[in-house]
Amino acid sequence: MASNLAVAVLNGIVWGLIMALIALGLNLIFGLLHIINMAHGALYMLGAVFSWYVIELTGNYWLALIVAPLGVGLVGLALERGLLRTIEDQPLVTIICTFGIMLVLQQLVLTYFGGTARRIALPIPGRFRLFDLQYPVMRIVIAAISAAVMGGLWIFLNRTRYGLWMRAVVQDREMAVALGIPVDQVYMWTFILGSVLAAFSGVLAAPIVSVDFMMGREILIMAFIIVIVGGMGNLWGSVVTAVMISLIHGVGSIFVVPSTATVFSLGFMILVLLVRPQGLFGE
Amino acid sequence: MLPDKWKGTAFPLVFVLLTAVLAAVPFFVDLFYQTFLTEVLVWALFAISFDLIFGYVGLLSFGQALFFGLGGYAVAIPILKLGLGTGSGLLLSVAVPAAFAAFVGFFSVRLTGIHFVIITIIFALIGSTVGETWTTLTGGADGLVFMAPPLDLGVAKLDLMDIRTTYYLVLAIVALSYLFLRRMVRSPLGKVFVAIRENEERARLIGYNVRRYKLLAFVIAGGLSGLAGGLYTLSLKYASATFLHWSVSGHAVVYTIVGGAGTLVGPMLGAGLIMSLEHYLVKLLQATDLVVGAVLVSTLLLAPMGIVGFLLGRRK
Repeated sequence: MASNLAVAVLNGIVWGLIMALIALGLNLIFGLLHIINMAHGALYMLGAVFSWYVIELTGNYWLALIVAPLGVGLVGLALERGLLRTIEDQPLVTIICTFGIMLVLQQLVLTYFGGTARRIALPIPGRFRLFDLQYPVMRIVIAAISAAVMGGLWIFLNRTRYGLWMRAVVQDREMAVALGIPVDQVYMWTFILGSVLAAFSGVLAAPIVSVDFMMGREILIMAFIIVIVGGMGNLWGSVVTAVMISLIHGVGSIFVVPSTATVFSLGFMILVLLVRPQGLFGE
Repeated sequence: MLPDKWKGTAFPLVFVLLTAVLAAVPFFVDLFYQTFLTEVLVWALFAISFDLIFGYVGLLSFGQALFFGLGGYAVAIPILKLGLGTGSGLLLSVAVPAAFAAFVGFFSVRLTGIHFVIITIIFALIGSTVGETWTTLTGGADGLVFMAPPLDLGVAKLDLMDIRTTYYLVLAIVALSYLFLRRMVRSPLGKVFVAIRENEERARLIGYNVRRYKLLAFVIAGGLSGLAGGLYTLSLKYASATFLHWSVSGHAVVYTIVGGAGTLVGPMLGAGLIMSLEHYLVKLLQATDLVVGAVLVSTLLLAPMGIVGFLLGRRK
């Protein structure tokens, strides 16, 4: 029982960190562009699918970790420049539009990749042992990588000029324009960054779950839950909430059926929406 | 434009003519197309019920699948488990989803914008999770298969195992629902809905209880979505938890946007158009969602008011 619990806690942390990456991308795009990106789950799925192709071609997971997010970044670039730019200021329209993009991406993957789930072999197969506890090394590496990516994001947002511009646009768009910040370009790079983050988590999740065209559908809702509970526009809130919810869900699933745990977390979210629409960590 | 004295008669004329054409169709097409047309009518009803809250009140609900799916179960479960008839099943397919819509709406209409969108998705997700888990009642993802008992109308008994009879029943109910909604959106109540859509703050200041009107629209839309789900289940003789999934709501959204939100003809036209497109392209491409998504996105970019909105805009 004790080792079961420890594994559940570790799983919760690993999943929490992956989910935090997805939610960060979603939150970044919302915070700046005010777009509720329904296609975000599909971009996550696309990251996993691209990485499967790279691994199939080269057999190298670490290469996939770099190439797949870049590829999805290009998709993000095309979506932002080609479609979303013209309708960015209409929130409801962008929700519906990104829903359409989700349908298109899922169908494209279904057509070319097929409907069957594919597995990716663990790039690091070993197990980590401590007393009677066993845990796959790869999962710890995955957690470490997502933590590192988040650290990189923090440095980017706080220590580089582009990061400062992004934060400036969030705080006061008018003033940012007046100061000569290229808001249009900031929007573009934000959408690309959000897509890359989604893809990154897709590649990281790929060895743990299996890769298929529907994998983004449930994840999208989880990401929404995290962003709302954590507070829209509040990046730290997303990270904390992602780990917290994954821990509760992981540990809770030992005691109750997973679907009951899901219903409880959804109910919890309704409560948050009604009592604190700005999120638990929002101002 | 039509002269004013014709305006009053134009609609009844077109409506009767169109209904007559639709009523005559089964004599000219085979059973497959009768089934297809039944489905188009059902989804058209689902689309206009969604448009009542989206196009007229301005609330984007992605959770209408919950009411659609519940409507299906409200027909199937009483027939299978309680031995009730089809008529009471149809009544329940309006009443049960409307009651759920009152509950969901009570919480949802407090929220606006994206928060409203998200909370409706969440409620639908709870519905589909429960539906998939509670297999003894719902049959889970496998669903429930049943035989539809004949519908006793007093003067005649309708055999709903017959495809053509089912088609006429669906046609009649959808036509009546359309007339009901048309009457509503043209009434003072409909004007209040539009006022809320256009400027919620102003509607409140004039003295309307905005939240209560939103809830009313949500309940009516939920009841009609349930009726669509009930008719769908009745035509398939099958109800499933997959009907409850939030993504099913996407159908109504797509048909409404493509056809033209804020009109009743638009969503019905959208349903017919998109479903025909899917039907004819499925052999060619086997990628129907691709076409649906592409049509949706290009409509938003090129004709944001939808086909009907585009045509009306042209004429002005």
